[in-house]
Amino acid sequence: MQEHKSRGFRFALVPALGLLLSAAASAAPVKIGVLETLSGPQASSGQAYRSAVRYAIDQINAAGGWNGEPVQLLEYDNQGGPAGAADKLKAAAADGVQMIVQGASSAIGGQITEDVRKYNLRNPGKEIVYINVGAEALELTGEKCNFHHFRFSGDAQIRTKALVSAMKQANALGTRVYSINQNYSWGQDMERAISDNASAGGYQVVEKTLHDVNKVQDFAPYVAKIAASKADSVLTGNWSNDLLLLMKASKSAGLKVRFGTVFLDQPGNLANAGDLAIGHFVVHTFNAEAGGADGERFVNDYKAKTGHAPAFIEPQTVFGMAMVADALKRTPAEGGKLNVNAFAKALETAKIKSPMGEMSMRAADHQVQMPMVVSSVSKDARYKADDTDMGFKPVKRFSAEEASAPAQAACVMKRPG
Amino acid sequence: MDQFLVSLMNGVIYGLLLFMVSAGLTLIFGMMGVLNFAHASFYMLGAYFAYTLQDLIGFWGAVLVSPVLVGLVGVAVERFFLRRVHQYGHAHELLLTFGLSFIVAESIKLFFGNFPVDYRIPAALDVPAFAIGGAQYPVYRLLMGGIAIAMFIVIYLLLTRTRVGIVVRSAIYKPRMAEALGHNVPLVFMGVFGVGAALAGLAGAVAGAFYTTNPNMALELGVMVFVVVVVGGLGSLGGAMLASLLIGVVTSLAVSVDRSLADLFALVGAGAWARDVGGLLTLKISSLSATIPFALMLLILLVRPGGLMGEKV
Repeated sequence: MQEHKSRGFRFALVPALGLLLSAAASAAPVKIGVLETLSGPQASSGQAYRSAVRYAIDQINAAGGWNGEPVQLLEYDNQGGPAGAADKLKAAAADGVQMIVQGASSAIGGQITEDVRKYNLRNPGKEIVYINVGAEALELTGEKCNFHHFRFSGDAQIRTKALVSAMKQANALGTRVYSINQNYSWGQDMERAISDNASAGGYQVVEKTLHDVNKVQDFAPYVAKIAASKADSVLTGNWSNDLLLLMKASKSAGLKVRFGTVFLDQPGNLANAGDLAIGHFVVHTFNAEAGGADGERFVNDYKAKTGHAPAFIEPQTVFGMAMVADALKRTPAEGGKLNVNAFAKALETAKIKSPMGEMSMRAADHQVQMPMVVSSVSKDARYKADDTDMGFKPVKRFSAEEASAPAQAACVMKRPG
Repeated sequence: MDQFLVSLMNGVIYGLLLFMVSAGLTLIFGMMGVLNFAHASFYMLGAYFAYTLQDLIGFWGAVLVSPVLVGLVGVAVERFFLRRVHQYGHAHELLLTFGLSFIVAESIKLFFGNFPVDYRIPAALDVPAFAIGGAQYPVYRLLMGGIAIAMFIVIYLLLTRTRVGIVVRSAIYKPRMAEALGHNVPLVFMGVFGVGAALAGLAGAVAGAFYTTNPNMALELGVMVFVVVVVGGLGSLGGAMLASLLIGVVTSLAVSVDRSLADLFALVGAGAWARDVGGLLTLKISSLSATIPFALMLLILLVRPGGLMGEKV
């Protein structure tokens, strides 16, 4: 009796399974994998990227997903290093992920773009596309540029150009600039960009310093060097502790220099720096006050969905994913599946309107053309940061064309087909 | 000249801070043979305790109370964890403290978030002591140095000039004999571990306000503290002091040396060749300053494995 019953069940199961399988073959949902640093010392940035991607994916799905199905989000922890990223990229490929999203660390970005390029060479028809929302090293759109990599943030040239122009206009730059950066691809790019912009900014780079990344506890010796150089301002691409400690050390030495930074808006920085941050500059991709009503709407919606206001790299990630959504919309399904090459071609022509203005993708090197804004820390800012009485007051806005830097000659893009 | 003087002072004071943290580590190792991986976590706990307490009892109160709390945590760790695994040997103790350091770091993230917290030196102390070479020298740095020196003197006197010191040293040297003479050796070990932790806590409470108080601070300083202890000689308080000062001064002075190996080759007329080769040869010393202590450690391990003032290997 029991035997009979179970057989009946099995017979019922087989057609059901077959039905499921055929459905899966005809319509495969798009899988997007976030490959971020979700644990360890640098987890805070990785988690910020993740929260922005989650927000963006929810929006895509609220608008109907793709091909009548919700887009799936998978999360992978690269554990803060290229080795972990390479490992997890394999896992993601095995899971059928077609889009890899990553932003924290150019070192990891460099690994992913190379691995993706090789994977695509070896697996035609099963391509993966790398959505780079924050790895800003120039080589990613230079020597290492490839058809399946797209960058949705700035780079050292774009950031420095805007920063220098706005600080010069605000009469905050002076004629003697000290350049201090971290000794790896991003910091070296920044150092070059600061020198490249010297004539445009009407300054002289009095001294250039590269230091170890996140290893220096005591910046007093560097500050002594800055003091001895009699610089008017310090331009730096430093982030996290390397920026905070540098600014704190110069404050306690009573140094009267202006800082031009790229990452002063990282959460926690203003709270920890306190009043000493006032008057210093940051170049970023979004400032709610500069964005007006659209900016306010975005901030409020983001806050309602994630519980915190978008800060640091979150806006650029949301905008980047909005461009992905735009390209997805224009890519029809082929046999129920996403053709990644067709999607990448659509992404090359993606164009959206973010709260900061028009942004588009440049096909030549897959570098996004996006508006930038330079702000200074002030108590008059409309939106306060980190629960302090300070925030970022917009100083100057740059449209995408104004912010743009020319494509690098080193990029030779090979398109499939 | 002025800049050299400032660099020297910066180096000495940074070195003194390193000493504050490594003193406890080297004491614990010297007396109990436990290589405490969680030691820098006690440093971090000190900073976070002080940050939490400063609203309630003010900055100075917080700086005084937080080491006591960290010391109590240390006592608890020794009493309820280390003592249980002691019989299985040093590897187990090491693994236990290693795990503990993760637990502390993750709990801190859980309670205080992933970002640096708003722990700063009070405005009254945020003033320059004197001006030198176009820059001011902050009072707080001198204060940190003073506290470290006072700490060194107190520990040194305590160990060499008091009865407690005699008991502690005998408990380390011949624990069974000390026990036979009626001394409570486990209590001594617990006390030493607690005091070691409290010293790290004090360093955290003082330095956390000057640098940043964030969940990575244990990681950032922890490695350097191990370097100090290895260079100075495991278990030697004087060695820790010497190594701290050495590392502090060397890293600080290296920052102002914009020379590379290529410049050295230039002396014998091979400068152009060296610049052509590039790579290591053109790397400026200043960009390596944070790496120099590790090179120093390597050198010490090769030449004098016991450390500068260590007794034996």
